Amino acid sequence: MHEIRIAEDLSAIVLETAEREGLAKVTRVNIRFGQMIQVVPDVFEFAFREIVRDTVAGDAEVDIEIIPVKMNCLNCRTEFLVRDNLFACHNCNCTDLGIIQGKELFIKSIEGE
Amino acid sequence: MEIKIMKNILDRNQNMANDVRALLAEKKIVMVNIISSPGAGKTTLLERTCEKLAMKFRIGVIEGDITTDRDAQRLKKFNIPIVVINTEGGCHLDSHSISKVLDSFDLDNLDILFVENVGNLICPSQFDLGETFKLAVVSTAEGDDKPAKYPMIFRDARAVLLNKIDLIPFTNFNINNFKADLFRINSGIPLFEVSFTRGDGLSSWFEWITDQIS
Repeated sequence: MHEIRIAEDLSAIVLETAEREGLAKVTRVNIRFGQMIQVVPDVFEFAFREIVRDTVAGDAEVDIEIIPVKMNCLNCRTEFLVRDNLFACHNCNCTDLGIIQGKELFIKSIEGE
Repeated sequence: MEIKIMKNILDRNQNMANDVRALLAEKKIVMVNIISSPGAGKTTLLERTCEKLAMKFRIGVIEGDITTDRDAQRLKKFNIPIVVINTEGGCHLDSHSISKVLDSFDLDNLDILFVENVGNLICPSQFDLGETFKLAVVSTAEGDDKPAKYPMIFRDARAVLLNKIDLIPFTNFNINNFKADLFRINSGIPLFEVSFTRGDGLSSWFEWITDQIS
């Protein structure tokens, strides 16, 4: 359900940007979600479309890039992708980790004319 | 024409959360964002904790509920400041709703502020409220697969309370599976195995939460 709130905040950014840039039509919205955000793309897209209906972004395509979770070991500096929820270094098994990617909730750009 | 934005979609929530966090730090108040499924025992946790600690610390509570003030009613007897936020269908609290109700508390006379989030394991974990830390509550009746299915909250929480351990004999809950999944996600996380209704395991929880305040 958090998809709805995220879609609301996204639509505000999209519409503000379109107005500022003088776009008559937004054709595409490019976003990036980390896997840890647990957004269901279909639900998100449905919510976004409902919110922007009858606006300049009403026909925009939504491009969602899902980013896998990547951590780095604070002990041996190894970088690794997290699989099966295992948050431990693949090299030394240490669990002192920093996150490199996987919690993104980003709007990259919008396209329009 | 492509317009680069590169911005966090929840910027507005994050900015307000940062403000809340700064204000609470200035007032030396610990804010605990309690997250669980519906019925895991968040309100009972607060009842037990107030019984034990309300004489020792100045406790405040923000009750997030979709509708009704039933949880707040259960805490009335402790004579502590309680504010209810009804989200009217919303599945989580956000930093704006917290910021608005902070005015209702006397922040110079508060040690700890418990926020009982809306019962839900996914949505609340995405919205920073400005809390000092998140606390996950899970009960054995929900099954042992919660960490594996909702890793984010178990990764982000500072501690986990496993409630209703007295019910294990009547369920298919496997505590070894639960722990194995939990510690894969967050290996050092403190885990309290408790029964809020029967009282098991509560002393180590009281000790831990006291350490967080002091």
